Amino acid sequence: MSAVLHAHPETGPSLGVAGPQKARRVLSEAGMRGRWWRFTLILAITAIVLVPIMVVVVLSLTPAPGSTATGLTFENITGVFSKTLAGTWLQNSLITTLSTVVVSVAVAAPAGYVLSRGRSKAVSGYSLLLFVMQSLPIITSVVPLFILFAGMGLVDNLLGLTIIYVSSTMTVATWMMAAYFDSIPISLEEASWIDGCSVFGSFMKVVLRNSLPGVLSTAIFAFLLAWNDYLVAIVFLRSNEIFTLPVGVQSFFQQNLTDWSGVMALAVVMMLPPIIVFATLNKYFSVGGIGGSLAGR
Amino acid sequence: MSSTTAQSGLARARRGLAPGGSGGGTLNRKSKLSGQTRRTFFWLLLPSIVLLILINGYPLIYAGVQATHDGSLIDTGNFVGFDNFATVLTAPAFWKAAQFTLWFTIVGVFGSWLVGLGLALLLRTKIPAGGTFKVLLLLPWVVPIVVSSTAWNWLVATPDSLIPSIFRNLGLGTPLFLADPHLAAVMVMIFKVWVSFPFMMMMISAALASVDTTVYEAASMDGASKWQQFTQITLPMIARSTYISWILMTIFCVNDFPTIYLLTGGGPVDATTSLVVLAYRSVFQDFQTGTGVAIAFLMTLTLVIVSVFLYRQIRKSSVE
Repeated sequence: MSAVLHAHPETGPSLGVAGPQKARRVLSEAGMRGRWWRFTLILAITAIVLVPIMVVVVLSLTPAPGSTATGLTFENITGVFSKTLAGTWLQNSLITTLSTVVVSVAVAAPAGYVLSRGRSKAVSGYSLLLFVMQSLPIITSVVPLFILFAGMGLVDNLLGLTIIYVSSTMTVATWMMAAYFDSIPISLEEASWIDGCSVFGSFMKVVLRNSLPGVLSTAIFAFLLAWNDYLVAIVFLRSNEIFTLPVGVQSFFQQNLTDWSGVMALAVVMMLPPIIVFATLNKYFSVGGIGGSLAGR
Repeated sequence: MSSTTAQSGLARARRGLAPGGSGGGTLNRKSKLSGQTRRTFFWLLLPSIVLLILINGYPLIYAGVQATHDGSLIDTGNFVGFDNFATVLTAPAFWKAAQFTLWFTIVGVFGSWLVGLGLALLLRTKIPAGGTFKVLLLLPWVVPIVVSSTAWNWLVATPDSLIPSIFRNLGLGTPLFLADPHLAAVMVMIFKVWVSFPFMMMMISAALASVDTTVYEAASMDGASKWQQFTQITLPMIARSTYISWILMTIFCVNDFPTIYLLTGGGPVDATTSLVVLAYRSVFQDFQTGTGVAIAFLMTLTLVIVSVFLYRQIRKSSVE
């Protein structure tokens, strides 16, 4: 586990191997050719992989049959906002997803801290419990929760949806936080204890304050899970004005099977927020932590 | 020891190698773990425990009750013992769905792993704009399934869709990708691999980043071929991450609902009905709550046993 070197054995600078100049130049020419060959290969693969996504974008910007617009147009996208409740659905999705993100980080961060720093039987037992719970099919709990929530007025309700999302993102979020806290030296906390800080105080002031990448990574994960969920939303949401985007978009699809411009315009509305979140915060995101924390305890 | 991946930090901490103050550590070795610390830990854990009991634990017990009753969504019904389980286990539809789930999982896990591994290895080399490709290739995983399944439907669903048209123009006939039972099953699996490979790519890339590249130079000086380097160095180095990613992906595949349901709805003629889809249909379309929950419960039991077993395996393998 030493230095992280991104140099490739084939093309990278050979550290400490002082070969003859000539041999080295030949190697780098071959290396250059290899680079462009690999560039072409990855370009082709990426292009093929992204075909479905490009289809969405192109169709949403193409004028619908019967439209007077030429070239590319935004009228499909503005159209779905006036034709459907897309604006309401977008708002519902944003409210649900952002609340899920905030609450699940708020619950997972302290729990992750305990998993990271505590090493008792109870703590590792709890970690195993989280692992088991995470692996269970959500369909098992959906029916009982539906009955429970129906009695509490939480069916067809964004709060009810948020509660389920928080609990289903919580397990992975807790591991991700724990994995990040593992990388923070305990000496930082020790120093603050000597200064008279309590365990809770040093968690808040020292550990959490140094954990922005970990928090963001967890937040992105929770965002994607809540934003993309379909199963829970379709079971728990009943009325049009309470729909989140997945259900709204899906219901629109089923009613307008041939209106591809409208369908794809709505699809663009739905896929933009996660893409924006990912594009801006991508450098903080790592799933490596999931595995690390899983294996660790 | 500059690698800051959680794995290495943990591995070190576990082996007790943690050199004074670098990378994690536990509070146990400190005198600070007093009753007071324990109380703080309890309060920090409490919200998570409450949620786990109420939203994860309670429904599980209630599901057990439902699975042994003949009720509906409104009424619990009468106690019928293991009748629902007997009904489920003797139904050919259950075994057909179990078989499809098995194949779907095998192809989903290893297909996405192979694609993810290939791309992770390719992206580790020096490529112009490599970072951009890395982000672009994550899109299938980031884009909601509701959206991507629509795009896939547009591409393949009808004989006049884009891909069947291309096949026809090439003189390869007009394959009915979603109407032919075998082809539909293959399509769902390809779709699953398309959705999942970025996750594998991220996992493997993270593992590869901590491999010391000087090892390769030493190996190639010793005359090891590229293939030997791959099987003798790369694979063992990423073995643990691979193992973990297989386990996670197995869970993701077995529990997957939208990938299948939104592309094919479980059809044609139930060819792509997985256990989750079957359970969903039993409860919300056939209103057979008892059998639906019994199916889910059987899956749950299997997954609990498998996951506890695998969890121990990972721990064992990481202690070595």
